[in-house]
Amino acid sequence: MVKRKVAALEKVDADLVSLQYKIRRDPKSYAQEFYDQWLSYDAQRHIFVSSPSTASTDDVKKFHDLVDIVAHVADLYPNLTAPFPDHLKDLLNQHHAVLHSELREKVVGSLCLLRRKEVIDSTSLLTTLFPILISTPSKTLRSLLYTKIISDLRESNSKATNHRLNRTIQTVLHNLVTSDRTSTKGMWATRITRELWRRQIWTDAKPCDVMKEACLSDNEKVVAGGVRFFLGGDKEREEMEDDSSDDEGIDIKRVKHQGGINKKTKKRMKQFEKAVDKVKRQERKKSAPHPLNFSALHLIHDPQGFAELLFQKHLQNTKCKFTLDNKLLILQLVTRLVGLHKLTIISLYSWFVRFLTPKQAQVTSFLGSLAQATHNLVPPDALEPLVVKIANEFVSEASAAEVAAAGINGIREIAIRQPLCMSETLLQDLVLYQRSKDKGVVMAAKGLQSLYREVYPELLQKKYRGKDATIGLRSGEVKLRKFGEEDTGGIEGIELLEQWKQEQREKKLAEQAAIEAEGGEVKKIDDDEDGFNSDEWEVGSDDSDESDNGWINVSDDEEDGEPAKKRPKQSGEMTDEDKANAIAEANRISVLATTSILTPADLAKLQELVREANIDKAMGGRTSKRKKELIARHIDEGVTAEDIELPATIGKKSTKEEREALAREGKPGRDEHKSTQAIRKSKKEAEGKSSTNKEKARKKNFMMTLGKARAKNKRSLVDTKASLKAHVAKAKQGGRRRNGVA
Amino acid sequence: MSKISVAGVRQHCTDLLEYSTETKKRNFLETVELQIGLKNYDPQRDKRFSGTIRLPTIPRPNMSVCILGDQHDIDRAKHGGVDSMSSDDLKKLNKNKKLIKKLARKYDAFVASDTLIKQIPRLLGPGLSKAGKFPTPVSHADDLTGKLNEVKSTIKFQLKKVLCMGIAVGNVGMTSEELVANIMLAINYLVSLLKKGWQNVGSLTIKATMGPPTASSRWDNEMWRLLLAFHSYIPGA
Repeated sequence: MVKRKVAALEKVDADLVSLQYKIRRDPKSYAQEFYDQWLSYDAQRHIFVSSPSTASTDDVKKFHDLVDIVAHVADLYPNLTAPFPDHLKDLLNQHHAVLHSELREKVVGSLCLLRRKEVIDSTSLLTTLFPILISTPSKTLRSLLYTKIISDLRESNSKATNHRLNRTIQTVLHNLVTSDRTSTKGMWATRITRELWRRQIWTDAKPCDVMKEACLSDNEKVVAGGVRFFLGGDKEREEMEDDSSDDEGIDIKRVKHQGGINKKTKKRMKQFEKAVDKVKRQERKKSAPHPLNFSALHLIHDPQGFAELLFQKHLQNTKCKFTLDNKLLILQLVTRLVGLHKLTIISLYSWFVRFLTPKQAQVTSFLGSLAQATHNLVPPDALEPLVVKIANEFVSEASAAEVAAAGINGIREIAIRQPLCMSETLLQDLVLYQRSKDKGVVMAAKGLQSLYREVYPELLQKKYRGKDATIGLRSGEVKLRKFGEEDTGGIEGIELLEQWKQEQREKKLAEQAAIEAEGGEVKKIDDDEDGFNSDEWEVGSDDSDESDNGWINVSDDEEDGEPAKKRPKQSGEMTDEDKANAIAEANRISVLATTSILTPADLAKLQELVREANIDKAMGGRTSKRKKELIARHIDEGVTAEDIELPATIGKKSTKEEREALAREGKPGRDEHKSTQAIRKSKKEAEGKSSTNKEKARKKNFMMTLGKARAKNKRSLVDTKASLKAHVAKAKQGGRRRNGVA
Repeated sequence: MSKISVAGVRQHCTDLLEYSTETKKRNFLETVELQIGLKNYDPQRDKRFSGTIRLPTIPRPNMSVCILGDQHDIDRAKHGGVDSMSSDDLKKLNKNKKLIKKLARKYDAFVASDTLIKQIPRLLGPGLSKAGKFPTPVSHADDLTGKLNEVKSTIKFQLKKVLCMGIAVGNVGMTSEELVANIMLAINYLVSLLKKGWQNVGSLTIKATMGPPTASSRWDNEMWRLLLAFHSYIPGA
């Protein structure tokens, strides 16, 4: 009995599948058959809708199959199936909670299928799925809907950005977050936004705005989602991009080679063409301009207002009961914003005071955040009490070495960003800790000292200033930046370039003079009026010499090699005599920079000269390493707890586990112990390569080789000679394959 | 980026000056702006750049500067005929956001005495730095007019949320030589700031406030579109 039933079901199933196939082949002839199926679908639907929860498994199964076939061929009978999408939507909207899971999945899948066949548009699909996603209690349905929503958004943005759809969805998400700030529903908005941001489908300010609202929510989970996005979303996006860029590399050489050794068929040729096409497309993609890739932190509208609100709502507010971890995340975001956009939130600094004790949990994160919140426009008097507090609480003879190191390092991180936060006595006290016995403390104290040698040596005691700072102070080279003063940047190293060009000119001139002294003939050197004509250049040219200003008619009487000063005078052009003068002039406003346009070659030379000059300084004993580190530390990066803890870990013995992990890092996983040969062989097999002739010869059964070997030994001398000769002759022709012969 | 030459820049400058001083002279001093379109620049990976440089000639002599200072500086300012405010005046603003915004809008730049500048964030809040007009410090030893000239002749390159910028580099009252020197210094500085130099420069255009844009280098369509959106805002014009 049971057997027969199953068989019948199978038959129906097979029937529907074959019918679907037939309909696809010839929709017109099978219109009647489809109409029958449609009627039975409609009937089933009515039965089902009347009592969805009590439907028998057979009914469900039948309905399932009918939905499947209608969905698959709906695009062929648009008139008849016009109400079908609405049926599915209604079904899902009203009964998603009681539907059988398989059927539910089928309905969702059918809707997506209809979308793919462009029977319905993305907006209607997403607006159907989205409310269910946020309201359904079923976990499987949620994850299904989530993947469907993401994939549909990706799909509709794959060819060109679908601005309209994006706007609609972003508005829906925005509303979802802002409508009910206490509910967890906002989680979905953050999840979807984050995923699309990671995939670079949404890159503009609107999704940032959604996340901003999420950060200002009352629900802890939603807030954490939003804050995490700002702190890590961009890095995630970058990693994703790196991953996707290097996965499908095609080795064109290999494809070509395979086409050469195997039989030439149309299929092979097509494969080759396809590969070439793909590589070309990838190349084009690589050279295409970068998409506008602003980080989320930069895209926030009104960062000042946002940071203030975030701070007041979640941190300053004593009623806020978030966990410490989440509060720290929020704090990191606020301070990051303050540092990045140079915001002014004075109350933030006084708020910090009570957290700056060694007993505070995760105090290094607090120290890092404080450093992050510091920038050159923070009034020093707001920071000074904090620095003093850190020094008092953390740094004393009695405190543990790690604590002292973290304290000094925290102070240093603050001082990098605002050197004015320190008083003379405090700094001198802290610098003395380089006499400590602990390596971490010594490192931290020395770091502080070398920082102040660079930025504010007056504050150090004379004996701690070091040679360079002392010299710099005397010559006025090292100057403290006053509060609110911005660097007036010039073109770095332009005076070096100018000097170099001058030298080149002199050299040329001297050569010319020497030639003239010998030959006595007056020769014109490449004179092009004011150098305007030769200033035209193209990218990549490296003829920097040609862009020199023109020099005319060197006279005979210059054997002593003294540079000639006959230059076409022109307003704004200098009549420089000695280099010192030139440098002094260049320091103010460079003549070179105002009269010519720097070519790529010039820029390259400029960089080279700057690098050389820096090396010279480094050889002169300057701590260039420290400086480089300072330069590398860009404000964009932010400070983490690890940065603060770093010196404390120096000189500490690591545990065995740590060392093992360190050794294992970056090495390929090794499952079992095998010989290298075996590993190589299995690798070759995995790549689908065959064995070489040599390998085959080596593996050949000994008995099979025996006869030939014996026969060889028995040959007469004449035979041996003949065969050797033949071998040589054949080798000269390129062997049996005639390699290398046209 | 095809080609850019000194002669080309010079030619464009003369054309621009001719148009604005002879063909169609306006009733005010037009500002000359350098418009820059960047390309192949990934603001996230390449870090956003910003930098200031002092030009040889003041691009906008009519720039209004306000001095926030102590008594000594206020006296000096009065002597030089420059607007000034004391700390009491600032306190009167009472941290009122609207008033502070109004103040920031009224002047193009601010200079503050050493003694006062540290209190500015407390007195005025984020208003001035939000507008990008945080004061420049001046000490009693400094020459005030010199400082003012320095402030006036300093220009700032800063990348905001789009890949194009406009910077005032001169005015049509300047001679061609002065204008060329200013423009070239600005261009050279910009290029030295960029990570890949000229490869990052999509376009360069010189434009007087009401004159037509003259391209120093090739424009492509996208840049035009961006700039059209950008034209509504010309700093200092």
